[in-house]
Amino acid sequence: MTIRILGIETSCDETAISVVEDGVHILSNVIASQFEIHAQYGGIYPEMASRAHIKAIVPVAKQALCQAHLGWQDLTAIAVTYGPGLPGSLLTGLNFAKGAALSCDLPLIPVNHLEGHLYAHWLQTGVAGAADGRLEFPLLALIVSGGHTELILMREHGNYEYLGGTLDDAAGEAFDKVARMLELGYPGGPAIEESAQQGNPRAFNLPRAWLPGTYDFSFSGLKTAVLRTLKRQLGPRSPRQTADMAASFQASVVEVLAEKTIQAAQEYETSAILLSGGVSANMALRRAARARTSVPVYALPPVLCTDNGAMIAAAGTWRYQAGVRADWELDIEPGLSWA
Amino acid sequence: MLISDAQTFEFISRSPKQTRRLGARLGALVQGGDVIALEGELGAGKTLFAQGLGRGWGASTRLISPSYVLVRRHERPQDAQKIYHIDLYRLNTLGEIIDLGLEELFEAVQSICVVEWANRAPDIFPTDHLWVEFHWLDEYRRSLIFRATGERHTVLLRKYHKDLIGK
Repeated sequence: MTIRILGIETSCDETAISVVEDGVHILSNVIASQFEIHAQYGGIYPEMASRAHIKAIVPVAKQALCQAHLGWQDLTAIAVTYGPGLPGSLLTGLNFAKGAALSCDLPLIPVNHLEGHLYAHWLQTGVAGAADGRLEFPLLALIVSGGHTELILMREHGNYEYLGGTLDDAAGEAFDKVARMLELGYPGGPAIEESAQQGNPRAFNLPRAWLPGTYDFSFSGLKTAVLRTLKRQLGPRSPRQTADMAASFQASVVEVLAEKTIQAAQEYETSAILLSGGVSANMALRRAARARTSVPVYALPPVLCTDNGAMIAAAGTWRYQAGVRADWELDIEPGLSWA
Repeated sequence: MLISDAQTFEFISRSPKQTRRLGARLGALVQGGDVIALEGELGAGKTLFAQGLGRGWGASTRLISPSYVLVRRHERPQDAQKIYHIDLYRLNTLGEIIDLGLEELFEAVQSICVVEWANRAPDIFPTDHLWVEFHWLDEYRRSLIFRATGERHTVLLRKYHKDLIGK
């Protein structure tokens, strides 16, 4: 029997709802981005985020069903992110999911947002470099975004081991902060990547925090080094210097991320590496990882790197098949991590 | 010359490790209702100090940078107290800062508020608080200036001072 799951994702600044069939076929993937709302803050602004979710969620859900040519009665279940994320944002999605599940008499499936980022790799994309579900365990996943930088060992469905993560700033956060220092705008990831294309990655000698013997990361020292270097420069910064700094900073982040990910993949002898999260859209990161290993490195189309409902529906499908159901007491868990 | 009186003292940290330890020593003393304001430029050691504070207090989760989400909540196993680790770095106007709901957090008896970039909104703090300024001296050394206002935090600062200096 065909399983059609509506996936609802509102953990941060995207109101995203999607219908996925059998955990792999994306029937619709609607995302109302709050980019313009948050650009003026140089990052997410929680109060504005939850207000925007409330406004967007009903139209986004309608559009997701409409694009899939389905009605509520055609769905098998509703999957929803219950953590980690911003409390106000999570609540909007969860309450909407509960209401819809209750009124349509559908099972409610709780999904961990981070797990969703892994299951995005089971979706059919038809894009070069994507796994499209052709995966064998064990797998090594790097989740890199504005809020997360984590290395996860996935031994089988639903079985995760946290190998390490950032001790201070998330990689995406470092991109945002350095973009702000260089006056390149928000979000920092794409802005730095674009500027870096014109720059020399060896122009500035920036530190790399290797933290040997661990799979942890630290980007705070790098951020400070960029600031110190910029302060030492006299006079106005030329576009060339900005591009050189963007390139040098990006090289430092990418090198550490790629190198440690490959080390972990080797140590745990994984069959492939999965890159997930907004920062995984960075082409320099993909190139650096692929250049260092013969193990396949899978990456996603940009729309599935950042937060989306399809990945929640995909993870929800697996959980649905495993018999996971939420009761009406399900609450948000803003600090949820790996079980 | 180092500043030192009943409500103010300065301490020179010689390494990131020491900054974290200084935080941990304060963390062992803080209680629900305490408000710790941190001021200093990027890379001055605010997050490091806050991380130490969380560890000294016994947080079950590591305090990582809250810049992206603005507020991170941490708990500890032994009681219902919470640390709210707050970052005002990205906020521009007082209205945005007030919208975060900090006033409620400041008043909650179970919550300890640790606020980075406190100087973005000095006026929102309750009169009773501990203010910590971080100054960059060189690559490793930082000057930390602690200023207590109000009775509660003056007592806290005195205990902390005694704990660090032994008098």
